[in-house]
Amino acid sequence: MIGLEIHAQITALNSKLFCSCRGNYRDLRPNSNICEICCGLPGSLPIINQKAIEYSTMTSIALGCKVPDKIMFYRKNYFYPDLPKNFQITQYNVYGISSIGIDGKYELDEAKQIRISRIQLEEDPGRIVYSEGGMNVGNTALIDYNRAGVALIEIVTEPDFTSPKEVRQFLNKLSLTLEHLGVCDTLLEGSVRCDVNVSMNGGNKVEIKNINSFKEVEKAINYEITRQSSVYNRNLNIELETRHWDDKKKITFKARSKEEEHDYRYFPEPDIPVIVLGSDFVANLKQRMPELPNQRFERFILKYKLSEHTSNILINDKKLADFFESTLKLHFSPTEIANILVTDFKSLIEDDTESTDYLKNLKVKPEHIAELAKLIEGNKISRITAKDILVKIFESGKLPSEVVNSSNSYKIADEKTIMDAVQSVFDTEKSAVEDAKKNREAINFLLGKVMKFTNGRADPKIAMRLINSKLSDPEKQ
Amino acid sequence: MTKLDDLLAYEVVEGLTEGQFTAEEYVISILKRIEEVEPKVHSFITLDTEGALSSAKIIDKKIREKEDIGQLAGVTVGIKDNISTQGIRTTCASKILENYVPTYDATVIRNLKENGAILLGKLNLDEFGMGSTTEYSRYRPTHNPWNLDYVPGGSSGGSGAAVAAGECTVALGSDTGGSIRCPSSFCSVVGLKPTYGRVSRSGLISYANSLEQIGPICRSVKDLVMMLNIISGKDAMDNTSMPSSPITVPNKSNKLNVAVIRELITGSDQEVAKSVFSASEKFQEIGFSCEEVSIKNLHYALPSYYTLASAEASSNLARYDNIRYGFDYPIGEYKWDTYFSNVRENFGEEVKRRILIGSYVLSSGYYGKYYLKARRLRSLLRLELLTLFKKYDLLIGPTMPILPFKFGEKIDDPIKMYLVDVNTVIANLAGIPAISLPIGFSNGLPIGLQIMAAPFEEQKLIDASYELEKVIHIQRRPNSI
Amino acid sequence: MISKEDLEHLALISRINLTENELEKFPKQLDKTIEYIDILEELASDDSINLDLQELRFEELRIDEISLSDDKQLNKNITDDGFLRGPKMK
Repeated sequence: MIGLEIHAQITALNSKLFCSCRGNYRDLRPNSNICEICCGLPGSLPIINQKAIEYSTMTSIALGCKVPDKIMFYRKNYFYPDLPKNFQITQYNVYGISSIGIDGKYELDEAKQIRISRIQLEEDPGRIVYSEGGMNVGNTALIDYNRAGVALIEIVTEPDFTSPKEVRQFLNKLSLTLEHLGVCDTLLEGSVRCDVNVSMNGGNKVEIKNINSFKEVEKAINYEITRQSSVYNRNLNIELETRHWDDKKKITFKARSKEEEHDYRYFPEPDIPVIVLGSDFVANLKQRMPELPNQRFERFILKYKLSEHTSNILINDKKLADFFESTLKLHFSPTEIANILVTDFKSLIEDDTESTDYLKNLKVKPEHIAELAKLIEGNKISRITAKDILVKIFESGKLPSEVVNSSNSYKIADEKTIMDAVQSVFDTEKSAVEDAKKNREAINFLLGKVMKFTNGRADPKIAMRLINSKLSDPEKQ
Repeated sequence: MTKLDDLLAYEVVEGLTEGQFTAEEYVISILKRIEEVEPKVHSFITLDTEGALSSAKIIDKKIREKEDIGQLAGVTVGIKDNISTQGIRTTCASKILENYVPTYDATVIRNLKENGAILLGKLNLDEFGMGSTTEYSRYRPTHNPWNLDYVPGGSSGGSGAAVAAGECTVALGSDTGGSIRCPSSFCSVVGLKPTYGRVSRSGLISYANSLEQIGPICRSVKDLVMMLNIISGKDAMDNTSMPSSPITVPNKSNKLNVAVIRELITGSDQEVAKSVFSASEKFQEIGFSCEEVSIKNLHYALPSYYTLASAEASSNLARYDNIRYGFDYPIGEYKWDTYFSNVRENFGEEVKRRILIGSYVLSSGYYGKYYLKARRLRSLLRLELLTLFKKYDLLIGPTMPILPFKFGEKIDDPIKMYLVDVNTVIANLAGIPAISLPIGFSNGLPIGLQIMAAPFEEQKLIDASYELEKVIHIQRRPNSI
Repeated sequence: MISKEDLEHLALISRINLTENELEKFPKQLDKTIEYIDILEELASDDSINLDLQELRFEELRIDEISLSDDKQLNKNITDDGFLRGPKMK
């Protein structure tokens, strides 16, 4: 049984959860993105961010959770040098509903659903780096509060996963959903953290903390399952414990135990009154919120009449789907454009999908693809030519029409020219011609030769017709 | 003409505007008064002579140039040392914040400055606001100007004493369980704890944030109103603050219905009870009706207060680990949690006791037993009072159950000390406004009347206080010092 | 009854060292306080009354905009790179 506890930063926010410092703290000089509030200076008070409530509610809706009419914040009290107030403002449901989403369900596939226990809003602590490299004995802490106070959404699942593969599937879908909502860019460094708990054969739960990206999660779980299995094989018991994932050594190791750590002395945050969302809040938000992946999928099939297969490819890559719809605005030909994008276009961008901006930096824009589609549909160029054109415009950024003009790639539709090509092929491929008379399949070989002869420009339909007529007319050979 | 340092705040503004004296002259007279009196009273932790004089000069320049000088122009204000003042050390009377200089002003300070008030310095208090006599200050206790062997009350003891002794025109204090009203009562001055949320707490160094408010301490009701109007208002920097209407004085008001809380009388010393009865007679003479009422849940109020206040304090004071700000204690070779514990050894005894009780009541297993019950009592009490306020405009009783007492009398027994707050915690728990008005003396020791009203009904409090002040002439400044 | 061990545990979770003197007299003093607040047990546990002092409506909340502070909030123990130097972690 495997359960997840995910912390995702709301990277979409401009400011932090309780103050107006920058929400994106990356690449800034240490302690240059702070104020009285996020530093916990005496007398400072938290001021809750409206947009954070919106984004976390959207996430709750997307994960099938119930959203209460009123929410509250609680203090989680513990001491640590990265925590400016020595308490964290978070949400807590033990004394009554306080968090932004509870009791949700998320569909993994047709066969399985994962139950979402709760979704809550809370603040990120600062970061401790260590002088001289590691958290070893004797090294002083160097503390940077730039990240302190950044908004986090915590998503906790029930232990419904039964394999690392399911976890990976879930995390992929979740990333896609978060991306569609615009809430969290999971490719940004440090934007997601995941804790996992693993228990096998009804044994004790082992919690694994400190997994800093979704990609590492599957590896950590695999390692832990192997480790636990070997412990069981030696007839030993698994202890209830917390372990850390070391992403350099790729192992889990036992964390130092902190005995009194678990009494967090939760109580309601007095500086933030109960926040009334109102009974219409969720309904209004549902109308305004961005389209979810499964909604977009349905729409692509219904509105654009795309196949499920093609739609799937597009939906799973939001930036590609966005590119697709931008192109449609310029030229409404869904099937043709989708086809170009999911085959040739996709293979050209395959290597770059890791970077957050990968489509933005391309020289090819929707205008290019729109024009390309028009040229194909207008029978001005053949599909084969189109493939080459695509490569060229990827490199140069020139419009397809420019490229076609300069390389003289227009389709040949003129029968005489094609006839000359056919004649030429018939003259050189005499044995193939004989084959073709008996075997209809061999005609394709001849067609291929004609296309090659014309650099792919011949209109295949016309060429085929002329080949067929020549074959059946003994005099024309 | 009245001595400059005897002037009330509204008289200072009038005098300045009419050119009777300059701001600089006024400030110099106050500073002289401080020089005379401070060695006996010890109200101040930090005195900012230079700052005060330079502010005065700026006001004088504005007057010469016929610019707008603000509603509090020239008024000298003492600030309780748990309210953040940019660039001026703010210690909360604790060793832990000995070297702490805030980088920002509390919202109320900004409001004062924008209106031409002159900040004199920071006033003494019980450490972090925890106490009723100012004996828990880590500096030295403040002395009651009416009798120097007696406590001035607390925790805003410095504020009460400074105003009574004429060391500032007006002062700001904070009130968590009576900390404005107690020193006001013991020092024969007027002090108000506003409705919870009326005044921004941004910059107030938290002790118990669901209970406390900043409020004015003055020598007259009119002064109090001037101050209250300047510091009130919804503040973007405080999510618990709410909008309110300005108070007017005098005000054409209806005759008000007053009720005396029976339990508060039976729990008082005889002298105190006598004074309250004569005050209620005065009310009747003015034409206010005066009955007696009982509050059912009163005996749970003080235990609830201490439960909630300690719980919140234990969390609010967790941030004091000396790594970002604080006092001189080098990090050395200590491991972080040892360092934290060593640093925090420097809290005073009373602060430590409240933090430990707070951690105790919030511990898992005890939360339902104490904290949750205390919260429930709070709601019950508030409901009961709101119901009473439908029938009565004001509820009255003695501010303090006893007369001011001598130093050391209660300091060895924390419970004895806590019992001193039994009348005042009601208003903090219920979030309602409460004022303390001087109504008499016994053996030269001041007695105060507490008046409470429904949330945001400060206008009624002021109406009653103003009328009472007109007919009961109580001395606001001791002759003896 | 607060034992010395209980007291030490509370002091640990509150990160406060107690002096010898305090370790002596606190158990009794804290006991008295806890006894004093024990009276709250008489109150029923029913949660049907809940008068929160205030409520905030969603519409009133802070708009998500950046506003930078130019005050220097941290003044002690800053390294050349801008980090705050803290104590040892182990």
